Amino acid sequence: MAEGTTNQAKEEYGRSGQDRKIRVLLTKSRMDAHDRGIRDVAKELSNAGMEVVFTRYALPEEIVKTAIQEGSDVIGVSCSTGGHLYVTERIQDCLEKEGIKEIKVIFGGIIPDVDVPKMKERGVVGIFGPGSSVQEIIRAITE
Amino acid sequence: MFDAETLKKDLEDRKAWERSFKKRYLKSFENKTHSGIPVKSVYSPSDILDFDLKKCPSPGNYPYTRGIYPAQYQFQAWMNQQVHGYGQAEDTRERMDILVKEGMEGYFGNLVFNLVLDLVSQAGLDPDDPEARGKVGQVGVHISCLKDLEILFDGLPLKKVNASFIVGEPSICLLAMYILYGEGRGVPKENLRGNTMNYLLRGFNWDVAMYPPKNALKISVELIRYCSRFMPTWNTTNLSGYIIREAGASAVQELAFTLAKGMNLIETCMEAGLKPDDFVPRFGFQLGFHNDFFEDIAKYRALRRMWATINHDRYGCRNPKSLQARIHTHTCGSSLVAQQPMNNIIRATLQTFGAVLAGTNALQTSAYDEALSIPTEQAATLALRTQQIIQHESGVTKVSDPLAGSYYLERLTDEMEKSAYKILDTIEGMGGFIKAYETGWLREQIAEEALKWRHRLDSVEEVIVGLNRYQEEGEKVEVPHFHVDEKIEQRAIERIQEYRKNRDQGKCQEALNRLRKVAVKVEQGNRHYFLMEALIDAYRAKATLGETMSILKEILGYGYAY
Repeated sequence: MAEGTTNQAKEEYGRSGQDRKIRVLLTKSRMDAHDRGIRDVAKELSNAGMEVVFTRYALPEEIVKTAIQEGSDVIGVSCSTGGHLYVTERIQDCLEKEGIKEIKVIFGGIIPDVDVPKMKERGVVGIFGPGSSVQEIIRAITE
Repeated sequence: MFDAETLKKDLEDRKAWERSFKKRYLKSFENKTHSGIPVKSVYSPSDILDFDLKKCPSPGNYPYTRGIYPAQYQFQAWMNQQVHGYGQAEDTRERMDILVKEGMEGYFGNLVFNLVLDLVSQAGLDPDDPEARGKVGQVGVHISCLKDLEILFDGLPLKKVNASFIVGEPSICLLAMYILYGEGRGVPKENLRGNTMNYLLRGFNWDVAMYPPKNALKISVELIRYCSRFMPTWNTTNLSGYIIREAGASAVQELAFTLAKGMNLIETCMEAGLKPDDFVPRFGFQLGFHNDFFEDIAKYRALRRMWATINHDRYGCRNPKSLQARIHTHTCGSSLVAQQPMNNIIRATLQTFGAVLAGTNALQTSAYDEALSIPTEQAATLALRTQQIIQHESGVTKVSDPLAGSYYLERLTDEMEKSAYKILDTIEGMGGFIKAYETGWLREQIAEEALKWRHRLDSVEEVIVGLNRYQEEGEKVEVPHFHVDEKIEQRAIERIQEYRKNRDQGKCQEALNRLRKVAVKVEQGNRHYFLMEALIDAYRAKATLGETMSILKEILGYGYAY
């Protein structure tokens, strides 16, 4: 049974027809202990065939720095404890400052519905709260 | 337990049962508990042949399987230890007053406050630290100076208050502040009651920056050493299985890992020269109650028995209090679902009911909206009402350990115990708890189990109503969300900056310098100093939480476990 999810994730990724491994930086604040979701996502994305780096950050500025160092295509931030609007702003500011347009930003965790439009307006391409499937995340990354 | 005649009849009866079963159903059922312990469709006397009254005597008797007190809830119900905390001290105080008004009670009508601190305080930072942006007061109350405690407890009869501070590394700091606050209110530390978490080896289930294991233990021992000398009624340490469970562990893992950390801490304290009977009585447990009803009930009974037996046989404890596991229950947040959130009321009710049947000593019932935000006032009150309805209306408080003697439950209690001992043996075999921790073995065990659970949900092998079955099409039910005003952050910054400005800077610096010296001695393993005293002095000189914690982090080290 356990392989079901992983196989579906692999197929989803396979369908997207990437010519090289997509690099994903998954990260969350070093204060936020809720790592169960992001660790699951990290495992699933790497099982699906992506290259996944998982870090914690003290300041949101570090996220973009790490993404540049790692050559990431995607930044995935997990946030279950508030402050997601601030982090969104800071990430976009840093990306703009560096003149980077091609890194996709996605979020997971507990994000109140009212904040979703604000985050999307600031360039977040996907927000994956409780109940989201790995396939949905892969679709957002590969589209 | 049963005479030969009864057992003979039981075997005949079983055969008859099997015949009628096979006649009616084409297949046999194979079931497992959430932890993977196989269970049969029905249990009978032959399943508890080794039932021994010595292991299961009446409540209040060693090894306390059936409860630590002779009377369970007849004289005194469990503590309504509802977790609360958000914003600044004044915001949380408002919620405290509401909950007290609605009947939140400690033992014998005393007040009980189970206060959760925000992540900024948890990380030992002041609100004006750049790392604090966006997080002040969001998921707990922000406390970074004595002034915050003054606002929080203003006018409350401190001698009748049981105060818990849900915070990790700064446990010792919060207690120091609380001692100082008590002093100012004329209540000596001997009369303070409450609880510090004080268990800091959490890297395998709590993914934040922390002290390295050896130094984390030194700090825990410091708090215990101080309290066993000066505050004999303060509950120093909370051995939390709940956070292990929430990280994804099974019930059996929760049971084994929690005991393993308790044993490790006892051994560390003994190495530091403390006698178990002087400090073990003030260790308490926090267990999670998840969805597998009987398995979690069995877990409580197994834990009480194991804790008593281990402490008696292995550590030579003779003080009955060293053998009695006091258990606080936290219904599991990870069982709550964002979809169809009202269903969470039913989940939390079942879990609360289970914890009561298991004889919990204190209880936190999760609010139904916790999968969405911190609880609204209405949801928090409803969670308290859940406990009150079970206490006053269901009739279960009349009889202690009412499920004892159930063939299934007694057997399951034994099975849980056996499985947990096996894990404890494995840990010992790999060189002990610290080894299991440092090598990442514990972390791996939990992560594996967490992923297994998720896959079981994905494949609908495990049904969660509203999440993977019975989903509703179209419009989703809107429930009110609690929103913490972002302006709180600015107000907290202003308070701490004002607080720092209005103090004798020279005196404060002096106290901080002394704290640094004492911290170095403690780190070196020197037993002639009390870190608590240096902290109290620092807070007396109006140092802040961030200032004191930054010294401790510097001396002891601070970073990720893995």
